[in-house]
Amino acid sequence: MDFAWTPEQQRFRAELRAFLAEHLPPNWEELADGPASELQSQFANGFCGKLAAAGLLVPHWPARWGGRDADPWTAFILAEEMWMAGEPRGGQYMNVNWIGPTLMRFGSPEQQQRYIPPMAQGHTIWCQGFSEPEAGSDLASLRTRAEPDGDHYRISGQKIWTSYAGYADTCFLLARTSPGKNGISIFLVPMDTPGITVRQIPSVIGEGDIHEVFFDAVCVPATAMLGGEGQAWDIVRAALSLERVGIPRFALASRALQRAVKRLQQLGRFGNGAIEQAARAQAACEAARLYSYAIIDQRAHGIIAGPEASAARYATVNAERAVGEFVVEHLPEALAGGDALLQAHHQRAIVAGIASGAAEIQLNLIATELLKLPREPR
Amino acid sequence: MDFTLTADQSALCDAIDRLAQRFDAKPIDFHGFALASAELDRELEEGSYFDIAQIPELGPLSAAMAVERLARCAHASETALSMLVRPQLPGEFARALALVENGRPGRFVAQARTLILIDGEELAIAEPAPEQLEAVHSIYAYPMGRVKGELKRNRLSAADAASIRSWLRVALAAEASGLIQAAIDSTVEHISVRKQFGRPLGSFQALRHRMAECQVLAGGLRWLMLKAAWSGDAGDAALAASHAQDSGTRIVYDLHQMLGAMGMTLEHPLHLWTYRLKALFSELGGRGGQASAVAQHCFAAA
Repeated sequence: MDFAWTPEQQRFRAELRAFLAEHLPPNWEELADGPASELQSQFANGFCGKLAAAGLLVPHWPARWGGRDADPWTAFILAEEMWMAGEPRGGQYMNVNWIGPTLMRFGSPEQQQRYIPPMAQGHTIWCQGFSEPEAGSDLASLRTRAEPDGDHYRISGQKIWTSYAGYADTCFLLARTSPGKNGISIFLVPMDTPGITVRQIPSVIGEGDIHEVFFDAVCVPATAMLGGEGQAWDIVRAALSLERVGIPRFALASRALQRAVKRLQQLGRFGNGAIEQAARAQAACEAARLYSYAIIDQRAHGIIAGPEASAARYATVNAERAVGEFVVEHLPEALAGGDALLQAHHQRAIVAGIASGAAEIQLNLIATELLKLPREPR
Repeated sequence: MDFTLTADQSALCDAIDRLAQRFDAKPIDFHGFALASAELDRELEEGSYFDIAQIPELGPLSAAMAVERLARCAHASETALSMLVRPQLPGEFARALALVENGRPGRFVAQARTLILIDGEELAIAEPAPEQLEAVHSIYAYPMGRVKGELKRNRLSAADAASIRSWLRVALAAEASGLIQAAIDSTVEHISVRKQFGRPLGSFQALRHRMAECQVLAGGLRWLMLKAAWSGDAGDAALAASHAQDSGTRIVYDLHQMLGAMGMTLEHPLHLWTYRLKALFSELGGRGGQASAVAQHCFAAA
C-alpha cells in the first residue's frame, strides 16, 4: 500500500496547473456565475478546444479516439484539477468522464464516428435525459415513450432537472420502448430535432443549470438507439459506475475551506469555535478524497467499483456540507458579494447529495451491499 | 498511489487475523467492562508483533493495520502505543506503555512499565515501579489505572515531543478505527436477526440509513488513519485523530439506540467497544485538541 504520487503523476498535475494558469482569464472567478450559464458555456467551448490541442482533454481515452491510453489516475488527477479550478470544462466533463467511454463500449461504429471525435476535440456539449417529473430516484418508472414508426421512433414525454440542456448539442436520452424496468432504451438525440422544447428552471446553483425538456413526437431514426431495445439499465449502470466518483467535489470544497480560513485569519476571526469546525470540515474533505482514491485504485486494477463507490459519494456529501456550513457560520459575508469563488462553491455544493442519484439511494446501496442488512420490503 | 497490500502486508494481516479471531468474542459468562487478555498479549509478544513498525518491509503502516484489527477483539490489549509510539521514542523502553494526561487515570496505566506523561505542553517519559501504580475501577472497558505519588520524569525535547504527539494521534486513530468497525459489525449482526413488526429491524430505512452513515464515517476514518501511519505527517495524524473522535462521538449513542433494550445490557458485547471509544474521546485534548493541531499543521498562517 502506497499513498505517494509517482513522478509522472506529479508532472502531469504540474502541467495541468500551468495550463490553467495560462488559459484561465484573470476574472475567471467572477465568470463562474453558474456552471451552465451562457458565459461559461461559451468559455468552456474555447477552453476545451485548447485542452484538446494540448492533449489534456481526454488523455485516458484510447489512442484511436484521440487519447493516449493513460490510466484512471490520470483521468482523476485531471478531474481534480479542473474541478478545483471551478470546472472550466463546463458540461463537457460528462463527455470526458462517461458519455465518450460509454459510446466506445456500447455504440455502433456509425454512432462512434459521429459523436466521439467532436468530444475529443472539445467542441460539443451533451445533456443527460434521465429524470422526469414522476421519475427521479425511481428512475425505472419513467414514462417518456419511444414508439416504433417504420425505421424510426417517435419520442414523446418530458424530462426535468436536466443539466446543460440549454446549450447541449445532443441528449443521452432514456425512453420507454416497452413496459417494466427492462423496457427502457437509450437514444442519442440531436437537440435541434424538431419537437424538442427546452425551458430553463431557475436554480440555486446559478444561471442556466437545470431545465425541463419536452419531447413532442420527436422523430429519430432507429439507428439513434444506443445498444439494443431494453438495454438501458445495463448501460446506465456501467456508465454511472464511472460517474459516481466522477466529480472530485472534495477538491473544490477543500480549496474553499482553505480560502475561508485564510480570510478569517487575516480578519483575526479564526477563534476556537471556527478552528473546531474547520478541522472537522478538513477531515471530512480528506476522508472523501481518500475514499475516492480507493475507488480509482480499484479502477486502475480493473475492478468495477462496488458499494464502496456509494460510500465515497456520501463521504463527499459530508465534506461539501461541512465546508458549506463552515462558511455561512463563520464567513457569512462571502455569500454577500464577498468572495465569488466561495459563493460558487456554495451554490454547487447543494448538488452533491442530489445529482447523479440522491444520497439516500447511496445509503440504501451501502446498507444492502456493504453492510449486508436485510432489504426493505417493497 | 496504489492501495494493494504488499505480499508482506497480506501475510501479516492474515497472521494477525488468525490470532485475533480467537479473542474476537466476549465470553458468555463475562458481564463486566474491562475485558483484557494476558494470553493475547503474550502471543503477540512471542510472535514479535510489537516490533512490526521497525521491520522495513512492514513499517508503521502495517503496524497500524495490526492495531486496527486487534482493536476489533472483544479482549483488549495494549497494542496501539507499543506498536506505533514505542518505536518513535528516544531510546529503548519496555512495554506495556500507557499515557497519563494531566494526572488523570489512563488505559493500561496499572500494567505499564513505560509511561508517556502529558502535562500541558510538556511531554515526559517515566519508567515507574509497580508500586507507584494502581488499578482503578472504571466503566471505560479498558483496564484503567493511575499513578500514585511522584515519578522520575525524563522531559522530551520539543522535537521529540512533537513527533510523539503525532504518533499518539495515529495510535488513537488506529485503535478507534478498529473499535468503531467492531461496534458497527456487532450492531449490524443484531439488527439483521432481531425481528419486530414481523421483519428484521435492519430492514427499516430509519435504521438502514443511520447504519450506512456510521459506516461511511468508519471507512473514512480507516483511510485517514492508514494515510497518517504511512506518511508520519503531523497534519495527517491530526486529521485522523480529529475524525476518529468526531466519528466516535457521533455514532456511539446511535449504535446503542439501534440495539434497543439489548443496548442497555452487559450481555451483548457492544459496550466493550463503545465504552472503550469513550475513553478515547478526551485523549490528547479531545476534539478541541485535535482541531488545534489541524489548524497548526493543515492551515497555513495568513
